[in-house]
Amino acid sequence: MQVVGLISGGKDSCYNLMCAVREGHQIVALANLHPPKDAKSDELDSYMYQSVGADGVELYGEAMQLPLYRREITGEPKNQKSDYEKTDGDEVEDLFELLCEVKKHHPEVKGVSAGAILSSYQKVRVEDICRRLDLVPLCFLWEREQNGLLAEMVENGLDAILIKVAAIGLGEQHLGKTLSEMAPIMKVLQDKYGVHPCGEGGEFESFVRDCPLFKKRIVIDETETVTHQDDPIAPVFYLRLKKMHLEDK
Amino acid sequence: MVNFTVDEIRALMDRKRNIRNMSVIAHVDHGKSTLTDSLVSKAGIIAGSKAGETRFTDTRKDEQERCITIKSTAISLFFELEKKDLEFVKGENQFETVEVDGKKEKYNGFLINLIDSPGHVDFSSEVTAALRVTDGALVVVDCVSGVCVQTETVLRQAIAERIKPVLFMNKMDRALLELQLGAEELFQTFQRIVENINVIIATYGDDDGPMGPIMVDPSIGNVGFGSGLHGWAFTLKQFAEMYAGKFGVQVDKLMKNLWGDRFFDLKTKKWSSTQTDESKRGFCQFVLDPIFMVFDAVMNIKKDKTAALVEKLGIKLANDEKDLEGKPLMKVFMRKWLPAGDTMLQMIAFHLPSPVTAQKYRMEMLYEGPHDDEAAVAIKTCDPNGPLMMYISKMVPTSDKGRFYAFGRVFSGKVATGMKARIQGPNYVPGKKEDLYEKTIQRTILMMGRFIEPIEDIPSGNIAGLVGVDQYLVKGGTITTYKDAHNMRVMKFSVSPVVRVAVEAKNPADLPKLVEGLKRLAKSDPMVQCIFEESGEHIIAGAGELHLEICLKDLEEDHACIPLKKSDPVVSYRETVQSESNQICLSKSPNKHNRLHCTAQPMPDGLADDIEGGTVNARDEFKARAKILAEKYEYDVTEARKIWCFGPDGTGPNLLMDVTKGVQYLNEIKDSVVAGFQWATREGVLSDENMRGVRFNVHDVTLHADAIHRGGGQIIPTARRVFYASVLTAEPRLLEPVYLVEIQCPEAAVGGIYGVLNRRRGHVFEESQVTGTPMFVVKAYLPVNESFGFTADLRSNTGGQAFPQCVFDHWQVLPGDPLEAGTKPNQIVLDTRKRKGLKEGVPALDNYLDKM
Repeated sequence: MQVVGLISGGKDSCYNLMCAVREGHQIVALANLHPPKDAKSDELDSYMYQSVGADGVELYGEAMQLPLYRREITGEPKNQKSDYEKTDGDEVEDLFELLCEVKKHHPEVKGVSAGAILSSYQKVRVEDICRRLDLVPLCFLWEREQNGLLAEMVENGLDAILIKVAAIGLGEQHLGKTLSEMAPIMKVLQDKYGVHPCGEGGEFESFVRDCPLFKKRIVIDETETVTHQDDPIAPVFYLRLKKMHLEDK
Repeated sequence: MVNFTVDEIRALMDRKRNIRNMSVIAHVDHGKSTLTDSLVSKAGIIAGSKAGETRFTDTRKDEQERCITIKSTAISLFFELEKKDLEFVKGENQFETVEVDGKKEKYNGFLINLIDSPGHVDFSSEVTAALRVTDGALVVVDCVSGVCVQTETVLRQAIAERIKPVLFMNKMDRALLELQLGAEELFQTFQRIVENINVIIATYGDDDGPMGPIMVDPSIGNVGFGSGLHGWAFTLKQFAEMYAGKFGVQVDKLMKNLWGDRFFDLKTKKWSSTQTDESKRGFCQFVLDPIFMVFDAVMNIKKDKTAALVEKLGIKLANDEKDLEGKPLMKVFMRKWLPAGDTMLQMIAFHLPSPVTAQKYRMEMLYEGPHDDEAAVAIKTCDPNGPLMMYISKMVPTSDKGRFYAFGRVFSGKVATGMKARIQGPNYVPGKKEDLYEKTIQRTILMMGRFIEPIEDIPSGNIAGLVGVDQYLVKGGTITTYKDAHNMRVMKFSVSPVVRVAVEAKNPADLPKLVEGLKRLAKSDPMVQCIFEESGEHIIAGAGELHLEICLKDLEEDHACIPLKKSDPVVSYRETVQSESNQICLSKSPNKHNRLHCTAQPMPDGLADDIEGGTVNARDEFKARAKILAEKYEYDVTEARKIWCFGPDGTGPNLLMDVTKGVQYLNEIKDSVVAGFQWATREGVLSDENMRGVRFNVHDVTLHADAIHRGGGQIIPTARRVFYASVLTAEPRLLEPVYLVEIQCPEAAVGGIYGVLNRRRGHVFEESQVTGTPMFVVKAYLPVNESFGFTADLRSNTGGQAFPQCVFDHWQVLPGDPLEAGTKPNQIVLDTRKRKGLKEGVPALDNYLDKM
């Protein structure tokens, strides 16, 4: 099946693509939603999309040597119910528009790869859009055991770092750490507070620097730590990716 | 001393109705250990192999040096009641029946397990642990000093634990020799003490209660008089027996005439309730006069009179004793005439309950589970064939360093060497696995003073020691064989660990030894808290300066065996609020998709005390609890039914209430909010101290529709933040602990006391003379923070004549806003934060409060 990969820059969407390839699907295009350029903050606190690290996604198309379609997030999380139906002005509709555009250029696309693991909120919305566009959603990570999944990603050569932390027990010092460095920490926090090891509850966001699908790897040259919410208990920090370049593998 | 083999002792244990488990409790220095010694020397059991090595209580070197008891010690006594006295043992569960020559008879041998406990308030927790495993208490009062603060504290605890008291008026020799009181004055003194004791009993219990009548009354014989030091004692029974034949009346009838306003007319030989010129109070005429006569004859060396008395009272003096005179003779005389051991043992056998009697009414206080399950029924009937239910009340160090005997009481079933049992710690919840171990009891032992003897098994109603369970329990717990057993209720201490010091190893390489030592210390003392701060500090918290001193000494010399550096003692504070939050506070979760809306408000006066005292309990049935809260504290009943939890530790004096209206998914996040609440109340926003007396209301929550986005990782920190915001907007205050100080001194020293107290922010609220003595009692409140070195200061300012007893009394708001720079509470908060290695300064409100 020819597939469009929804990517956020994070590990889940990327690993889902790797799974799709392994299952024999062919990725023909990438699609990404990013915060408006004039947004006050890089972090929209969206219910649907990862927004930090959007600056880096720009390089994904070249890294994977695939056409990349991008669109600004213009909607807001208007419909926050667990079920979703078409709601004007909702951020989910941005995805609809984006996939319409992809379909226009690649009428052969039949499937959509999305990296949801446990968030039925997100899965329900992706499925709704796919149904409306007559596409098949591909979620290979759905309901996988998280500790095992995290280990599997590392084993399969997915190199990602943390670019946002937002959970109890995580702090500034964890920004920039790789997944393999974080796995034991997340296990401890899971036992202590019920934190999800893959960050599925929004505990952290990641940015993939390299994986087997990349023809070139992304090198981060310069970052800046931004404090999104400063409190002594569970502060929120993220990394702004200021300068990057691609490097031949 | 009685010599027994282990088998003989074991046989006694089966006669459960002839067992008396009792504690000796009193104010410090009222003579408990001395009195106990006279009992031990009369009837102490020593196993055959140990005969010869005698010393029993006060085994520690420091105990002997300081002349105070620090640890409680258990000893067993055995004695046989004379056949004629058996009729005084009343109640079907108070004696076993044996068959002698085909006839049924009351068994006359009694096994008494006695626990001598410390009198100093700093070691009150030892008393609590002792009370738990006993059914009766011998309350010793120095008849010269009267009822003191610690007498009240321990007696109150005894009544609350449903421990039946008997009274002993000690140091009568002092009243006679030093104060030279007349007969009527002495009667008045005794009567006042009896009244004071009964007032305390009536305040904390009542005669219609499950224990039956518990008032002490000399005329029924549950009050003893005498001198532990000189080894003599009597109850009215002893004197009534002397006269019963002469008057031709029954002993118990005569006893009624020997106390209170009963007067004997010497001419008409009639008793009446009014005094005339010709009549004399029964107690003075028949009890005190003979004693005065003996004292007069012996002390004033009236040889003829003495000889006559020796003859008349049938006292057999040994040859070498015949030459004695004055005080030494008086001791021998009195000891032979009114031997303390016999009197006391009789009083104990007659008036203290057997385990069978006591467990019937104690079960509901002791057992947390349903009162009709198998364990409850077995405890209630003290059934040795039921499931094992044993409560471990303390840990006793063994000669093997780092190991402990678990010391406790078997309430039902039998505990045996090699049996498999469930070891349930205080945090065990039935049906769950936490704090539960199933292990083999390595060895069951008899504990007698510091000697131990291995024994095959120990049946219900007895006190036992266990080997090999110490690593599974911190301080105490429940041992059972019944798989559905709930816990035995944990003990409530009358003192709090309000004074703390930080310790570190002088040589940093010794850190592991220090940590191990602290763990051992925590086990060996029922109350001390050893806290490992995140900043790396090691804190020891105890009841007072003396308690800490002993703990530190034990740590340094016995548990860690390394040189230590100790900080100056500091006080634990509590954090509270003074008004309701000035807004409904909102905090968002880190992912911004969940919001909690809460407020804080102070609890009504007294509620925090009730929670700490157990009157309002986290484990109460919620409807009954709501009723109390509504009636006593005017809480809205529907709200009071929706208490989510108490905290910190699930039982502390703060409440979390759900006042939301129709919120979706609320139950799913309850656990996370509760976790945040426990955390917030344990580590308050100001300086990481516990909170006290704060009620938190959850007004509203908005949650992400998908469960994955509102897990613990998101909600716990949010809850904690919103509670902090609620406190900061509700005029936070610091509470400091305050001691009740009782000082006895001669009048001349009273002025000096005022001076010392004033310098230390203390204030006197009562000053009175001890009737019949030149001593004054001054009662005052003194902030614990000001109490360091108080005893020494007081002594130097009163020429060594004033002796204070400090007991934790209450928490008091430290005036001033802790958030405002320059105030005293602010200084304390800053110091505490610095000491704990926290960020400098109290975090600002906007750290916790989010905008819509």
